[in-house]
Amino acid sequence: MSLDLFMRLNTLACSLVLLMGIAILWRNSLPAYIDSFARQSMFFVMGILTVAVYTRAWELYLVAFMVFALKVVFIPRLLHRARKQVGADIEIRPFVNTPASVLLAGILTLLAYAVAQPIVALSDLPTRGSIPLAFAVIFVGLFITASRRSALTQIVGFLVMENGIALLAVLATYGVPLIVELGVFLDVLLGFLVMQVFLYRIRGTFGTIDVDGMRKLRH
Amino acid sequence: MGKSLLEAFQCFLALAISPGLVGFIRWVKARLQGRSGPSPLQPYRDLRKLFGKEVIVSTNASWIFRVTPYILFGSLTVISLMVPLIAAPLPFDSLGDLVVVVYLLLLGTFFLSLAGLDPGTAFGGMGASREMTVAALAEPAIMLAIFGLGVGAGSTNLGQIVVRTLSDPGRTLSPGHLLAFASMFIVMLAETGRLPVDNPATHLELTMIHEAMILEYSGRYLALIEWASAMKLFVFFSLLANLFFPWGVALTLTPGAVALAFGVLLLKLAVFAVSLAVLETRLPKLRLFRVPELLSVSFLFALLAVTSSFLVR
Amino acid sequence: MLLILPLTGALVSLLNPRQRLTGLIGAVLAGAEFVLCLEISRECLTRHVPAYGSGAFLRADALSAVIALIVSGVAWISIWFGVEYMNHARSAGHIDDSGIRRYYVLTHLFVFTMLLAVTANNVGVMWVATEATTIATALLIGLQHSKSSLEASWKYILIGSVGIALAFIGTVLGYFNFFEHVGATDFALNWTVLSQVAPKLNGDVLRLCFVFILIGYGTKAGLAPMYTWLPDAHSEAPAPISSMMSGSLLVVALYSILRWKVVVDARLGGAYSSRMMVVIGAFSVAVAALLLIRQASYKRMLAYSSVEHVGLMCLGFGLGAGGAFAALLHMLGHAAAKSLMFLLSGSILAKYRSTRISSVRNLIGIMPWSGCLFFIGGLALLGMPPFSLFLSEFMILLAGFRSRQPWLMGFILMLLLVIFVSVLGYLNRILHGKPPENVAVGDLNRGGLLALSLNVAALVTVGLMYPPPLVQLLRQAAEIVQR
Repeated sequence: MSLDLFMRLNTLACSLVLLMGIAILWRNSLPAYIDSFARQSMFFVMGILTVAVYTRAWELYLVAFMVFALKVVFIPRLLHRARKQVGADIEIRPFVNTPASVLLAGILTLLAYAVAQPIVALSDLPTRGSIPLAFAVIFVGLFITASRRSALTQIVGFLVMENGIALLAVLATYGVPLIVELGVFLDVLLGFLVMQVFLYRIRGTFGTIDVDGMRKLRH
Repeated sequence: MGKSLLEAFQCFLALAISPGLVGFIRWVKARLQGRSGPSPLQPYRDLRKLFGKEVIVSTNASWIFRVTPYILFGSLTVISLMVPLIAAPLPFDSLGDLVVVVYLLLLGTFFLSLAGLDPGTAFGGMGASREMTVAALAEPAIMLAIFGLGVGAGSTNLGQIVVRTLSDPGRTLSPGHLLAFASMFIVMLAETGRLPVDNPATHLELTMIHEAMILEYSGRYLALIEWASAMKLFVFFSLLANLFFPWGVALTLTPGAVALAFGVLLLKLAVFAVSLAVLETRLPKLRLFRVPELLSVSFLFALLAVTSSFLVR
Repeated sequence: MLLILPLTGALVSLLNPRQRLTGLIGAVLAGAEFVLCLEISRECLTRHVPAYGSGAFLRADALSAVIALIVSGVAWISIWFGVEYMNHARSAGHIDDSGIRRYYVLTHLFVFTMLLAVTANNVGVMWVATEATTIATALLIGLQHSKSSLEASWKYILIGSVGIALAFIGTVLGYFNFFEHVGATDFALNWTVLSQVAPKLNGDVLRLCFVFILIGYGTKAGLAPMYTWLPDAHSEAPAPISSMMSGSLLVVALYSILRWKVVVDARLGGAYSSRMMVVIGAFSVAVAALLLIRQASYKRMLAYSSVEHVGLMCLGFGLGAGGAFAALLHMLGHAAAKSLMFLLSGSILAKYRSTRISSVRNLIGIMPWSGCLFFIGGLALLGMPPFSLFLSEFMILLAGFRSRQPWLMGFILMLLLVIFVSVLGYLNRILHGKPPENVAVGDLNRGGLLALSLNVAALVTVGLMYPPPLVQLLRQAAEIVQR
């Protein structure tokens, strides 16, 4: 694979990852959020694959497979099941309304470019141009977690953030050492499962997954 | 000399084809919806009919009401002189800045809104205020998209952009380019009053934006306005086609190249027309308070386009 | 060897259905862990760093030894206390058998992950272990399925996971920095390797890296402004868990920050990281002081006190070598005192069945031994002599004056005074006053009280006698932090 083609495909994949993350901000139905996350993970896998083909590193193929299995197949399926059981379909009145969220996403992207400056300057990998995009995904994920009411959306936001961090690792260093990668994979899986458990419990106890209802503990 | 002739030909093309374009879109939509629909040439017949009809003007209307159709039509004719439809670069290019084009369009919108308010009818005022909201929200998006394009090409001159993009075809795949396209596409929907922002075929006044402003018009005024909005759609399509996918635009003025460019332009217009028809058939009209959401997404795309073309060189 | 023990504990708890036996085995195992940590510390004192595994996968230098001591000590006391406490809870109907089994399994896993975090050489593994503690504790906080504990655990896991994710960004940046200068190697993320290569790394990226690390791990440590989960989580969790979280988990998070601080300092000099730690530490103390003024629940009061003390520790680490030593001493003292207080609060809750300070009165009369211990613990937390916390706070202030920041120290002193007044007021209300009706007189959990007396003994011994081996160990650890 030529360098030029690699750079173009990689940039395209990373932009699509960011776009899918931002798509969560302008849509307002929970199935759409889960599907956007699944698509984002799909594009992320494609991004990993481009790096894997270019660097001919077998570990990255393994990583791509793990991410695919976990984030494109397993987690979205569980999320959909949770969504149906919990009966949540629309995100009503998020803490920040849609046009403002979308504009904030733009500002966060600019912020990501600013923050990533020293890293891009230091790196000499061909993927360095997309590093700010990874940071943007992280910030957007953080924003989703902070600004949405439904507990399920908060989980999706957290997962988007994790995608961004993993993307950063792939772009900046072609992936972290395999043992750490495995550990991260397990952690994400376990963390997600635990959050799922809590989702069911919240639904069972409060009758809704609107986190604004959980305000009993204040100061 | 040949160039100026070509320029005039371009303008004539815009005048001649645009009603047909609108008719074609309407015909495709009808076919998609399972109807046989009116013939694509129907708008021409409508125009001829309207030009023959009597003009009735409300006694409350001022000179603005009478002048607006001419201003609208005139501004769009001037724009069609500047847009690179068939060949680039062209002599009027010194005037042909993208910014100028956008603001000429806005001039037309401005006067149309005033004319909607002028007779003092309720629906006119409603249409005018809605149109102003949409235009105000669309403007930053389109300006940023232009800026994004301009940064990539080094100038906001239309001919220059076409030439530059042609010389570097790989750039068409870049995220900045595609994002700017998406942003302008959404703005096009908003500015020309197509679904999902505004339904051009609606009869219900409460759902109208563009139609509400022209409710009071009749006769040759209405003809001019309808023709002008058809030309607006034509201009937007051509801009989208030739700025973002400029293959086929003649760089030299040989008859062969020009004929090829003409054919390619028709093809691109047809593609856009069909995709717009499909889109309109699939999407419902957005409720008015959701239109800012759509336009903010367009703004975001434009912002991302600028960022990616500006900061990633 | 050390790590096998808590794993066995978890396994046993999983398999053994007899609650009493499980609890006792757990307590014994925890005691054995503590002894092992003492052994490791002794080895460190002789300047021999015990390591294990290829490339020193597990490594325990003086710093790790100190933290491991704290972790295992608090775990031992808490598990010991927890045996009787959980039995009482079961008979009172607060929790069922499966809940108790989950408690034991998760507690042992929790201890395992904390010990792994402090003994791992690889900062990536350290991160994985810290994330694992979040998962384990989240399940533990929500053990009793009440509305408020669910809210607390949801907030905890969300904020904690976000914080840990930020810490991971920092880790990736550190690795990236290394990668750019040396290239990918298998041992790249080993702390020993990183700290050696550090002077050659890029300064700007390292600065960014430390920011993420501080904010990320600082969320787990309960530093302001990321502490919002702490009052809820520490007050809603069952008492033994609260004590372990307050006493050791916060310290483990600080430990992670310290490991990275050493790497960053090797390149940027101490000024950058110290300044940030001082600011965040002082801010935490201020926030805690302000929020302590009006507290309605004694458990939340203790939680905010944790924020204050962690702030003081962070402050200490930012104040040079003397400050680092003082902060380490403070960690020890705080662990002993806070675990004491939280465990007692468990007894108080069981007896008075309310978490409000206004409902708890005349503790001295109703539960004489517990009340006494509570009073002692409270004084210790306020930094009174002869307890070790007095020494450590005094030393932190001294280090502050020595690094020419008198105004800041004056400010801290004022905050400490505010806290002193508030908490003393609460203590007074709890300990004295008219006894409420329908509360039976008599101490609960005598076995547990025995454990707590060990805490007090530790506090007094360190405070009064300043035992040389311990001082030597702390000095070595401080050296590692502040080269």
